[in-house]
Amino acid sequence: MIDVLIGAMVWSNLLVLLALGLTMTYITTGVPNFAQASFAIVGSYIALTLLRLIGLNPYLSIPVTFILGGILGLSTYYIALKPLIKRKASIEMLMIATLAWDLILFGIIGAYSEVLSAITKKTETLFVFTSLDFNIYGIPGRLIVSSLLVLLTILGLYLLLYKTKFGIALRASMENPSLAEAMGINVENTRLFSWFLSGALACMAGSVLPYLQEIVPQTGYFIVVSIFAASIVGGLYHIVGALVGGYIIGISESLFTYILSILLGPGVLVYSKVISLLMMIATVLLHPRGITGTEMWRRVERWLNL
Amino acid sequence: MVELITLILFFFALYVIVSLSLNLEFGYGGIPNFGKALSVLTGALVVGGILNRLLIWYFGIEGDFISASSLAAYRMTEIVSQNPLIGLGIFLFCVTMAVVAGAIAGALSILPSAKLKGDYLGVTLLAISEVVYLILFYNTEIVGGYYGVSVPDILAFVPGEYRVYAYTVLALICALLVYLFLEKLLNSPYGRILRGHRENEDLIKAFGRDVMKLRIKTMALGSAIAAIAGVVFVFYSSSVVVNAFNRVEWTFYPFLIVLLGGKGNNKGVVLGAFIFVLLKMLIDFYKFDIKYLLHLPFEAVWLQYIVFGILALLILCYKPEGILKEEPIYTPPIKSRLKTNP
Amino acid sequence: MILLETKNLCKSFDGVKALDNVSIEVERNKLTLVMGPNGSGKSTLINAISGFIKVDSGKVIFEDRDITNREPHEIYNYGIVRTFQNPEPLKSMTVLENVLIGRKHSGEEITNALFTSRWMKEEEELVERAFKILEFLKLDHRWDHPSRALSGGQMKLLEIGRALITDPKLIIMDEPIAGVAPGLAHDIFSHVVELKNKGISFLIVEHRLDIVLKYVDNLYVMFNGSVIAHGKGRDEIEKVLNDPKVIEVYIGD
Ligand SMILES: Nc1ncnc2c1ncn2[C@@H]1O[C@H](COP(=O)(O)OP(=O)(O)O)[C@@H](O)[C@H]1O
Ligand SMILES: [Mg+2]
Repeated sequence: MIDVLIGAMVWSNLLVLLALGLTMTYITTGVPNFAQASFAIVGSYIALTLLRLIGLNPYLSIPVTFILGGILGLSTYYIALKPLIKRKASIEMLMIATLAWDLILFGIIGAYSEVLSAITKKTETLFVFTSLDFNIYGIPGRLIVSSLLVLLTILGLYLLLYKTKFGIALRASMENPSLAEAMGINVENTRLFSWFLSGALACMAGSVLPYLQEIVPQTGYFIVVSIFAASIVGGLYHIVGALVGGYIIGISESLFTYILSILLGPGVLVYSKVISLLMMIATVLLHPRGITGTEMWRRVERWLNL
Repeated sequence: MVELITLILFFFALYVIVSLSLNLEFGYGGIPNFGKALSVLTGALVVGGILNRLLIWYFGIEGDFISASSLAAYRMTEIVSQNPLIGLGIFLFCVTMAVVAGAIAGALSILPSAKLKGDYLGVTLLAISEVVYLILFYNTEIVGGYYGVSVPDILAFVPGEYRVYAYTVLALICALLVYLFLEKLLNSPYGRILRGHRENEDLIKAFGRDVMKLRIKTMALGSAIAAIAGVVFVFYSSSVVVNAFNRVEWTFYPFLIVLLGGKGNNKGVVLGAFIFVLLKMLIDFYKFDIKYLLHLPFEAVWLQYIVFGILALLILCYKPEGILKEEPIYTPPIKSRLKTNP
Repeated sequence: MILLETKNLCKSFDGVKALDNVSIEVERNKLTLVMGPNGSGKSTLINAISGFIKVDSGKVIFEDRDITNREPHEIYNYGIVRTFQNPEPLKSMTVLENVLIGRKHSGEEITNALFTSRWMKEEEELVERAFKILEFLKLDHRWDHPSRALSGGQMKLLEIGRALITDPKLIIMDEPIAGVAPGLAHDIFSHVVELKNKGISFLIVEHRLDIVLKYVDNLYVMFNGSVIAHGKGRDEIEKVLNDPKVIEVYIGD
């Protein structure tokens, strides 16, 4: 049972990191990024490469994956989206562009996994880091590290958004991009920032993910629904939504799978996606703006004086 | 060579069916159906999941689903090799069921987001399709999952060496019928209102149209059509393997085809399907030569993904209207005006 | 004769009162104008009447029927059509198609669309009507052009054309002459007056009073979500315009 809870917390932490990026880029750019899950897998393979080639512990490679992930996020914006936005492409076309980008990343990941296999003379198309994990008083490293990453991210975002001048402009343009643009705030900067952070956080999450589950090039296709469910349930119009949604989806998925595995035996992991899908559908039907878009949440916010 | 040409023609026909159905939903109607693969999978499910169970029950076969299916498929194939009419009957029965099941799947999948804007619509459709796919893939008891199940050969009466040609002809006939059907259907006020919906849904709401109903009906029709392709595909391969119905092949590629050929233009989509399938089959067919020639340190299929991803981005950016531009809908009274007041 | 009436409409967005007890009357065969500075709730009022937003309280009555919070497509069935503040024609469609699409058509049903004979007669009549309307609006020579090729003023005329083909009882227009040169603006309003004389009623939101004043029969002034003054007929309108409250609002603008 305790293992289940640990797994649930780690998975939730990672989902928060992944959903944060999705929500931020949706707010600033207005497009749901279907390549978000592949960002994570790119992160996993960067960590694997550093481990195999220079023996760097995946936890220690997090700063590198963060930066490379940021570059990946930026190139997504520059290559796949910006040229289309300039030509006033519709939202549907932008979504197709992120699907295309996702396919390109998938192709690169797959090709790269084979290249890496050829270099290391092992099969690198499927890997886990579980055996590398450390342990403090019985608490596994993946729980400690993923929680720290979420805490650091929140703290960093809080300081940036509430304590700096750039952050205030950023918040203004996230809350109301058209108004901010009219007020002369540079919306482009907020886009660049959000895409950098989105890629960086996702790759960071991706370098911890192999401690939790097996990675193959197709893993992105397995987790993409969870990320979208987290962002939508939490509310796509509010960064805090990713936090709320990440924990709700992460914990529900893990507990649901646990209960099912007691009832039906192993091999039920896939049904966790059903619970995410149902929660997502319920949100879309009842309150598309998600939990942070409800009147009640606004009251909580006012009460917390945010 | 003949083998390659037949292969190209067969998949051309399949992609024509699926892409035309997507052109109805997305090209005309503006519905970003990122769950297109679901409807093709529904067709496969009808054959592998329903027909097989009916046959197992009919022959009274015991045992687990996958091996019972093999036996049932084998027995049915024997019968069909003597009785062409039974084979065709099964085919028509499956197509009918697939059309009904596809329509239901399409209508249900758009129901949660039918009132919302394009982004929520696209995300929800994709999520539903992905989750159904994952379940059918990992649960081998529904339709064989990653192991796959055999299905009967409904053209078993055709001598072995002509089998593939027969299936190709069958697929081409289906594609032609779908094309004629959609051309007739869309050169009408229905096509006009779909385009109106694509351009500005609020406007057509203000002019009395129930947008939700329009979307549900259109998705039902589009999914019903695409399910036919699923049926033809699994009979051709004599098996249902769920991997074959993934999002890349049956959602992304149809979008690529519609964009390449020209969204809102059925002729363009047919042309787009031809160009795409030609490219894809050449890469598939010569994958070892490509790998060797380019000294690729990986399988050519990854290169294929990268190439088609880049192609999609290029089209989106430089030729979003596709090879053949959309044309106005000229109903007969409008056509006669073209002559009187040009 | 009152055609449409709103009674104490209220609507808040995130605690901001966009409509605060708004009661107006639209008389048959008259041009009723709602004016007011930006953000005073004019578009919200139109959206509430036409079903695009649901009000918190209050009623909308049309020809003695309660139509509050109906869906937009139901409201159309009563004979009300509306235009939008930022009109976007169906850009890739032709001028003719833009007019044709105004009217519901039996050929739009999938089951009918396949059989040309089932909708041919209706289509013939509709095309005939559409050409008459385009002639009236002097857009007929461009009927087969994509509507994105039209000028801003022509696009507004096209909006009127699309409304006309529905045989409406009431046309509601949100800023029909915003961004249109004065000459063309008078042109648009002379079309409106002509239609009014043919029996169509108008509810129009506009703040370019200099141009529209002479065409107006009844006037409402809105500010911060409320109606602050109204007048029926020339004399009362004159009074409203000299009302210190109204002047203050406009000077503050
Ligand atoms: N959909 C909406 N969501 C939130 N606030 C809105 C919405 N529509 C209008 N408002 C607010 O309601 C007020 C009235 O707006 P509007 O009716 O557009 O004014 P007008 O048309 O007179 O310029 C404004 O403060 C505006 O910001
Ligand atoms: Mg307005």
